[in-house]
Amino acid sequence: MARQKLFKKIVDMLVELKDTSELMLDLAYSSILLNSKELAEEVQALEEQVDKLHTDFALLVLSVGISPEDSKDFLGLIRIGVVTENIADAAAQIAEVVLREIKPHPVLALAIEEAEETVVHVQVSKESPLVGKTLRKAQIHEETGMWVLVVRRGGKWMRPGPNLKIDAGDVMIVSGYAEGEDDFKKLASPAYSST
Amino acid sequence: MVRVERVRYKPVGVRDLLIEMKDLSELMIDLAYSAALFDSPALAEEVMEMERHIDTLTYLLNMNVMVAARDADDAESLVGVTKVARAADKISDAAADIAAIVLQRIGIHPIIREAFENVEEHLTRIGVKPDSVLAGKQLGELELAARMGVDVIAIRRGKKWIIDPEENETIEKADVLIVRGAPQGIEEIEGIAEGTIRELED
Repeated sequence: MARQKLFKKIVDMLVELKDTSELMLDLAYSSILLNSKELAEEVQALEEQVDKLHTDFALLVLSVGISPEDSKDFLGLIRIGVVTENIADAAAQIAEVVLREIKPHPVLALAIEEAEETVVHVQVSKESPLVGKTLRKAQIHEETGMWVLVVRRGGKWMRPGPNLKIDAGDVMIVSGYAEGEDDFKKLASPAYSST
Repeated sequence: MVRVERVRYKPVGVRDLLIEMKDLSELMIDLAYSAALFDSPALAEEVMEMERHIDTLTYLLNMNVMVAARDADDAESLVGVTKVARAADKISDAAADIAAIVLQRIGIHPIIREAFENVEEHLTRIGVKPDSVLAGKQLGELELAARMGVDVIAIRRGKKWIIDPEENETIEKADVLIVRGAPQGIEEIEGIAEGTIRELED
């Protein structure tokens, strides 16, 4: 592989490691909030994925042929990879509480709901303007400031790709700053009122 | 020498401790990546300070959880709380590891910048000088978001952290502000905090 191409691949992998580890954290807190084993299992599956990705990342970094004067820069790169894996591990530990069938103490849900960045889940009602739109067209982040973490349809969890079409009855789990929570709830379920 | 604070039991709500730990640990990840992106020792120092604070909070939380457990049922459900707190502590350690890369001058490979450039919002740390027009003003009356598109996401006052400060929070001289926003707005707020810009433009 040409050096240029190799670097591009390293950047892509680092972005994926970072994004996945942060998504896992949000999903892990959601699994506690909802006391959801399925979501907690999703986090565990992602953790295995991150382990593998991290190994591939480190191997790729080591394969570029590092000169002595560059070695410090590359050490920093490898350490950041380790950090993303540690964050993924922490997320897996949070999810583990649910999988061990420890009923989450009410204080946990309270803390997660009241933290600055909150996680909410809302079922999309059939009157919602979101129904029938793809996530790309729905512009949920632009409208409400909230990011869609995962969508549950029937018993299945789906990753929120831009082409995913929203159905009535979908449960959407979103995260963001607490200010966006009401806006999102109204969008997904117009009958919802903040009182 | 690493300075370690003595921790004594005091009754603090476990919910409040958890909220603070969750908020701080997440803010730390953002700050740490920004410190690496901008190769900023000042931001990295803030991350280190927060890490020490979270260590203290972890002790306090564990003490309060122990005191709260009355029987086996309590113990079973409270063990999950300590587990989550430990995870937040671990996340703060991970953020501190990134900060250490910056502080120990290990090196920030240009790849790191490329990878995080589009992802990260610009975060910066600003010290409020005594003669800055910010000192003594409430956040709400400053209308920083409307004026220059920046948000104060945290304030450090001595050893105390105020995360997501309210509109009626008054900025004091010597406060350290953690600010998020576009580069141009950041430059402006830096000038105002320094005291080189004396007036707020509309």
